[in-house]
Parts: sequence; structure tokens; C-alpha cells
Amino acid sequence: MSAPPPKGPPGGAPEDRPPPAAPPPGAPAPRFGAPHDASVPRMETVRVTAPDLARRAALEKTRSRLVITAFCFALLFLAIAGKLALATIITPLTPHLPALASRPSEVPPAEPASDQQPLAPPAPPGHEQRAMITDRNGEILAISLPTAGLYADPREMIDPSDSAHKLKLALPRLDEAAVRERLSSEKQFVYLARQITPREQLAINQLGIPGVYFQPTARRRYPQGRAAAQVLGGVDVDGHGIAGVERFFDQRLREDPEPLRLSLDLRIQQVVHEELTRAIEDFNGIGGCGLVMDVRTGEVLAMVSLPDYDANEAGQATQEQRFNRAVTGMYEPGSTFKLQTVSMALDSGAVNIWNGFDASHPISIGRFTISDFEGKKRFLYVPEIIAYSSNIGAAHMAVAAGTDRQREWMAKMGMLSRIGIELPEVGSPLAPPASNWKEIATMTIAFGHGIAVSPLHVVVGTAAVANGGVRFRPTILAAEPDAKPREGTRVMQQTTSDTVRKLMRLVVTDGFGKNAEVPGYYVGGKTGTAEKSTRHGYNHNSRVDAFTSVFPMNAPRYAVYLMVDEPKANASSHGYATAGWVVAPSVGKVIARIGPMLGLLPDTEHAEEIHQALYIPLQPGKPAGSHPAPVAAAVARPDLTHPGSPPTGHLPAWPPQQEAAPRPSQPHDAAQPHDPRHEAQTAMPVAALADR
Amino acid sequence: MPVLSRADTSTLGRWWWTVDRWTLVAIATLIGFGYVMMLAASPAVAERIGQSRSLFILKQVGFLAIAGAITIGVSLLSPRGIRRLAMAGCAIALVLTAATLVAGVEIKGARRWIALPGLSLQPSEFLKPCFAVVSAWLIAEGRRSHRFHGMAIAIGIFLLVALLLKSQPDIGMLAVITAVFFTQLFVGGLNLALVVLALGGSAGAGAGAYVLFPHVRSRVERFLDHAAGDSYQVTRALEAFGNGGLLGRGPGEGHVKDVLPDAHADFVVAVAGEEFGMIVCLLLLGVFGFIVLRGLLRLLAESDPFVVLAASGLVASFGLQAFVNMASTLHLIPTKGMTLPFISYGGSSVMAVALGMGMLLALTRRRHHGDVP
Repeated sequence: MSAPPPKGPPGGAPEDRPPPAAPPPGAPAPRFGAPHDASVPRMETVRVTAPDLARRAALEKTRSRLVITAFCFALLFLAIAGKLALATIITPLTPHLPALASRPSEVPPAEPASDQQPLAPPAPPGHEQRAMITDRNGEILAISLPTAGLYADPREMIDPSDSAHKLKLALPRLDEAAVRERLSSEKQFVYLARQITPREQLAINQLGIPGVYFQPTARRRYPQGRAAAQVLGGVDVDGHGIAGVERFFDQRLREDPEPLRLSLDLRIQQVVHEELTRAIEDFNGIGGCGLVMDVRTGEVLAMVSLPDYDANEAGQATQEQRFNRAVTGMYEPGSTFKLQTVSMALDSGAVNIWNGFDASHPISIGRFTISDFEGKKRFLYVPEIIAYSSNIGAAHMAVAAGTDRQREWMAKMGMLSRIGIELPEVGSPLAPPASNWKEIATMTIAFGHGIAVSPLHVVVGTAAVANGGVRFRPTILAAEPDAKPREGTRVMQQTTSDTVRKLMRLVVTDGFGKNAEVPGYYVGGKTGTAEKSTRHGYNHNSRVDAFTSVFPMNAPRYAVYLMVDEPKANASSHGYATAGWVVAPSVGKVIARIGPMLGLLPDTEHAEEIHQALYIPLQPGKPAGSHPAPVAAAVARPDLTHPGSPPTGHLPAWPPQQEAAPRPSQPHDAAQPHDPRHEAQTAMPVAALADR
Repeated sequence: MPVLSRADTSTLGRWWWTVDRWTLVAIATLIGFGYVMMLAASPAVAERIGQSRSLFILKQVGFLAIAGAITIGVSLLSPRGIRRLAMAGCAIALVLTAATLVAGVEIKGARRWIALPGLSLQPSEFLKPCFAVVSAWLIAEGRRSHRFHGMAIAIGIFLLVALLLKSQPDIGMLAVITAVFFTQLFVGGLNLALVVLALGGSAGAGAGAYVLFPHVRSRVERFLDHAAGDSYQVTRALEAFGNGGLLGRGPGEGHVKDVLPDAHADFVVAVAGEEFGMIVCLLLLGVFGFIVLRGLLRLLAESDPFVVLAASGLVASFGLQAFVNMASTLHLIPTKGMTLPFISYGGSSVMAVALGMGMLLALTRRRHHGDVP
């Protein structure tokens, strides 16, 4: 307590201490400057009143409290000084404002360092780089390159028109008038240009214009240009995926810097692209689509949709070009669906391979007529129905199996729902609702009309019937090297698949798909030529030609599918514009080219053995000792009764597959002869369905 | 300023020789620094407020000139005049504060302002210095005369003020007024047991505010949770200090004013820290500390209880306001919007501060014995 000596209270009371002894008591005490007779007697003692003492004590206390208060304030202010020192020089918080980072002093050197890894450009500070997209072999399909955006603060502009002129010299693509107008505005921030290259950045910096800044951004580049443009999709100016893989995996690409490896194989993609382009050009098609899929995993190795566009110029692409026919386009699959029909019929046991149906007359049902293209006009065996692509036969076969069974089959094969590949554009198939799936629908769906699915649906279905009977959900992602094999769903018996494989091979050896043959690859497949439906029914002159195939048929590995939209006949196709002439040759070319890329060499050494193993006669005989076919006699006749049937005695031994698992089920159509008049109101327009 | 003769007995002459000239110089320094900060922050602020920069500058020049005039004008008054002014001010401010509950402008969920043409007024700002003087007089008078229950009346007014501020709600202002009132009681010789009780009570009140008022709780929680990085504003402010370093980026080179909406008001120290650096900020802090410590220690030579209590209340109010502003900008305490006296942009708050400092200067003028306050 260092308070100064207290002063006397008002009223002038002297100090409370013994007076000096010198003056005698009672002697008058003259006051300075006062007349002598005004002297007052000296006081011997000073009386201090009790309230006065209390007031003095209180004042003492107040003074000590004032010092304490001052001390507390000193502490508070020292605390601020300490925190100030901490915040400024001892542990300063590094500013990471975007505005600060973009100021010229903070911009990284404009010249690219020569020792950069070409595959991993450094991310701009504070800017997470979007992950690369590669094909299955690591080839870059999409990559983000660091670039800068050019912006300005017009309030810092000294001479907007001079600045605009200089900027135009450094960056010729600028519109000088527009830049001048922007720089003259009252705003705080105006964009001048995006995607500034480091070289341009250097040139602009050298202009030394105040108020011009760069903002680190990234530019998405697609080094392969057109390859898989619709699959990759694209990003908007802010780097958010807006279509394709970029959109489906947007979050993944932004959060995980590891490259996203697609199942696509760039080499195969290019081959399919070339061959499909050539087929479309040769036959004046308006577009097309190509798919290659691994039938044992569901991985899509190539997905081409034409017309396409350069992924780097997505802004200029038309709606037509951006349309991914492979997954978004819904087409009536046509005769390629007969593979489904025959698989269903055989797998259910309703039809045996040695059965046949009368295809000598068109089927008239309601106001529709189902006829064959270049039909044989006779009884046809099941292999013949597939090889010659008989609509009549397929329709009979489906009716023999039954409507309910067909619907179940289609659902099981995924033909009634979205295909499930990792693309946002997948479309929904068009199929009649269960209430309207009547016999006429059963008949037309048997040969791929009255239902519309995407090409990928067809490929997945083809793969499932050929690979032993397991359906895989298709995927656009490559399997991790150490991942366990993908699991599919068994949809049919192995034995049925074995038979259907032979039928697919038969189409190429003896049927409409001969042009797809590649020696040593044992291609099997099915053509499909569907007339396009319009509002007024089917158009005979606009078709969709498709060929779905699998190779090699002895040990199926890959499904190849090509489709040409609205081909026109030319000389090389002898006036035909059907799938066997338009697409099948291209499929053969594709297989011949991609086979070696996929590590499959043509096997011509064992040609005879493989041919034998895959052989199925067009008119197979009923194996000796087999049970009678459980199919109704109304539609199927035993081969022996058919006049044109070959003698059964020297047919090659046909494995009695259906005998292995005889089915007790009786097709309901056998018991209930169908009256077609009841089906006349069906919603499916199937007028003059001439599928070849 | 012309040199005044010691013999000059005019009002101004007497004032010049009796007023605390050091404090006066310190206040003038603050006002000068206020001009500098206003020039630094004005481009960004003018942009934000949507006024031209020159109009903004003109306005603040006007505010600060008025503030200086108020300080000097009020300091010319006698202690008796101060007392009357404070009583009148306190009454008006109380009425206006009560009126905010009815006719106040609601901003961010609180009714604290009354809209006047040209500016919005926060009456509780004026209540702060006036109540300090009035309560000092009541306490001193109550001690002088046993018939006058000054202490009881002072506590009564305080409770009324507390009720009004709680209703607005303005817990920060309530805390400051409570702290000032407590400081006065403490300086006035409050029993130590009661001091301990009051400190405990304020801790309890703080906990109560935390429980009762969601916005208080969120402030405190954001303050305590370091991972959350407190609010956007405080993080930006701390970055500004870090960016400024020892010597600062230079006048006009700061960026925090571009991103902080309150850069010219509650976060003006961050602008100062970024543009002028730690040393200038320490000098600024030193000026505040000088005013507070000098004001308190000079009272040791004062014997009139009213003057001691009133002046200590005014000084405490001024010092606490400066502390709360700088400490919340520096993330030392939870964020509490409070202006930095004479530095922050703003009309009514700087007037109120000027009023308080004028009262302080008037009360601490050197007087002859017998000058009855």
C-alpha cells in the first residue's frame, strides 16, 4: 500500500498527532496574515469525531481497493498484450483465404517445373485435384490439369481501356470491348477468362496491370478425345460431374485422389469404334452402338455409341451425340431375343431340342399376322427356327412355354428393369404390364417385338445364356487385381446353356450369321433386324440391325454386340439391309482384331474337335430311349412323323440333356387350346412383323 | 492550442490548468488513430454499406469531431453539473431502454436499438456512464446521511436496469454494467465476504445465462471448442493478426476488411493488426491501459467519495469495453459484440464513450479544498 499521506478532511482539521511542544499551552496562536487580536487559543488536543474517523478509514480502504482494481486491469491488459504477441509473431495463424492465395505474390511460379511427374501434376494450393479416370490398363481417359482463372478487381483499375487493350494482346481470345466494359464496372470481382495456361499467365503477369489476379482452377481434359465420350460424361465449370462416370462417381472422384479404373479397354474401344463407324458409313446408317463384355465377370470392355463427340468439346455436342445408345436407347431387340425364347423353352422342359413347330403358314392373331422373312414354309425343328430365325416358330415355342413362364424369365434375366451398370443415364425398358401381357404379347416378345430394352440388356442376356447360365450385373469398373471373382446369379441350367451355345454357333455356321465367322474363334451369335415402330405402326424401311455374339463358343469369354440404326442396302449386301449382311461382317472383323488383344489366339489346330463338340444338326433326332416330349401335339410333332426329316439312325450322338432332369410340369397351353380372337385388343402393335 | 496563462480565470483557462491533460492527450491520440483506421477500412466498408467512400469518411469525421466536442464540453462542467447531467441522462436512457422493448428495431433477434433519422441509437450505451455516476452519488450520499437509503436505491435501479437488459436481451451489456457496479461497490469498501459472495454470484449468473440463453451457450461452446475453430469472424481475425506479424502489411494492404462484415466496428483491431502489426497494436493497447491505470491511480489523491466512486466506475466501464473488444477479437473470451472506444466506426457508441470520458475528465479536475462537488 503506497498511498500518499491522507489529506485532512474538508473543514481544515489539523493533523491528528501531538503538536510540537514549543508553544506553551493556552498561548494564542496567531494566524498568518490575520490581525493579532484575531488569534485563537491553541488547542491542546484535537478532537476528531467518530464519523470523521470512520470516513477516513473508509477512504483508506477505498484507496487500497483502487490499487487492487488498477492491478486487475493491468493484468487484463497484459493478457491482451500476451495474446496479441501469440497471434502475431509467436504462433501466427497462416491465412488460407482464397483471395489471399490468388494474389500475385502467392501464385506459384508460372513456369512448370521440368521434373514433374507427368501423371501426377501438383495440385494447386488449397485445391483438391479431381481424380483421374483410366481404362483397365491405366491409360488416362480423364485428367484434371491445373490452370488459372483470370479475374480482376475493377476498383483497383487505373485505366480500364488501356488494361483491356494490353490484356487482348496477351490473350487474343478475349473480346476487348467486353473486357473494357467489365473492367469499368463498379464491382469488386469480374471474371475475364477461364483456363489460362501457365504461358498466358506469365505473359499477363509481365504486363504488370494492377488489379488483375489469377484464381487456381483445374481443367478436365479427356486425352482420348472421342473414345467413350458418353461413358465418361463430363464436368461443369466448377468441376462437378454432370454426366456419365464423372457424375455417377462424382463424390468418389473428388474425395479419393486414386485414379478410378474403368473396365473399358481403350484398344478394344477403338477397334469397335472404327468398325462400327465403317459399317454405319457403308450402309448410310444414322447411328449405332457397339459393346464388348467379359461374359465371365460382366465387365464392359467397350461401349461405343455413334454419333459421338470429342469429350473435350462437350459443350458443342448435340443431344443426339450425347445420347448413349448402349444404355439409354431402348430398342426392340428383334430376333436376338430368340436366344431368350429358346433358352426359356428348353430350360423349362416345355420344348425339347428335337421338337419342332409348323412354320408353313403365317400366324393370324386378331388383326395381326406373324410371318417369316424368306421363310421355309414348312415344319421347322428348334435348331432350324434359330438358324433361319423363324418368327412363327419362335412364337409357337413361346406359347408352348407359356405366358407366365416367359414373364418370369424376362424378369429373371433383368429385361424388365434398369440394367444396373454404374452410369446415371441407364434407361428403363419398355414392356407390357403384367395385366396386358397376353398371348399376343407372348408371341411377339418371343421374337423381340412388343418389348424394348437397351443394347446392354441384350448383351447381358446373351452372355448369360452362353456362359453356362449365370447372369452378371454389368459393370463399368475394372475388378481389383486381388479381388475375389464377381458373383452372378444362376438363371438356367448348365446343360441348357450348353445347348444354346451350339445353337448360337449354328447360326454362324449354317444360319443368317455366316458373315460373322472368324476362323479359329468359333463365333456364335444371333442376328436381329427389327423394324422401327412409329406412331402408325412399323416402318418397313427403317430398321435396327443388330448382331449379338459370343466367342469362342467352345469356352465363352467375350460377348460382342454391334448395332446399326437405319442402315440402307448397298451393293456389297446384295440389296439386303438385314443384320446378317450389315452387322455380322463387322462383328467378325471386330473379333478378328480384338481376339489377339485379349490374349486369345485363333485355334485352328483343334478345329475339327471343337467343331464336333459344338455341332448340332439342324434337324436333330430324338435320342433313343428318351421319354416322349411333354409338348402338346397340337404344336409339336415328333420328327419321325415329319416327311422331310433325316433318318435318325446315323445322327451323331446327341446328349439327352432334358433326360437328366425330366420335368413333370405340363405346359398349360397344351390343355387349353388358345382362341386368338380374345387377344385382338392387345396393346402391342405388331402389324406385319417381318423379322429376319 | 494557445498557451493559456495560469492567471487566466476564464472558464477555459481554469479548465485548461485543472483538467488531466495527460488523459486528454491520450484520448486525442485515440481519436487520431480512429481516423487512421477509418481511412484504412473505408474502401471495404463503403462498398459494404453501399455508400461512397467520401461520404463515409465525412460521416466518421463528423462523429469523431462530435465525440471530441462532447468530451471537452462535458469536462467543462462542475461535479455538481456532472451529477445533474448523469441523473437526467440516466432517466432518459432508462426510459429509452424500456422503450426498445416496445418500439425497438429487432436486429439479429435482439431489441436493443431505437431507430432515429440518420442513425440507430442504443440507449443502453448511454445508460452505462450515466448509471455509473448516479450510483456513485447514491452510494456516497447514502453513506453521508443515514436517513437517505442511497445504497438501497442504487441496488434498486441496478435491478431495474438488469431486468431491462435481460429482456432485450443484451447479456454482454448487462455483464459490463454489473461489473462496473460491482467495481464501484468494491472500491466503495464492500465487505470482503460480500465480495467473495458477489464473485460467486456472478459465476452463478454466468452459468445461468449459459443455461437460459441459447445464443450465449452457442457462443461459449464455440469458444471452448477449439476444433470447431470458433466463429468464422474470429478465425479470420486471427489470420489477419498472423498475416500482419510484427510490423504489419502496410496501410491499406490488409485483406481482413474485405471478408469481415464487422471489420470497421467490432473487429477493427484485426484490421489494425494486419496493416500495422503487433507494435502499433501494443502502442494502442498501451494508450488504453494508460487511461485506465492513470484514471484509477489518480483517484488515490482524491478524498471525495462521490468523485472516487463515479470516476472509478467510468474508468472501469471504459477499460472493460476496450478489454472485451480486443479480447474477443483475439479469441481470449467468447465473442461479444462491443465497440473499441474511439476507434470503431459508429455513431451512438462513440458518443456514449465521449460522454463518459468527458464526465471522467470533469470529475478528476484539480479542485481546491472546499469545492463542494
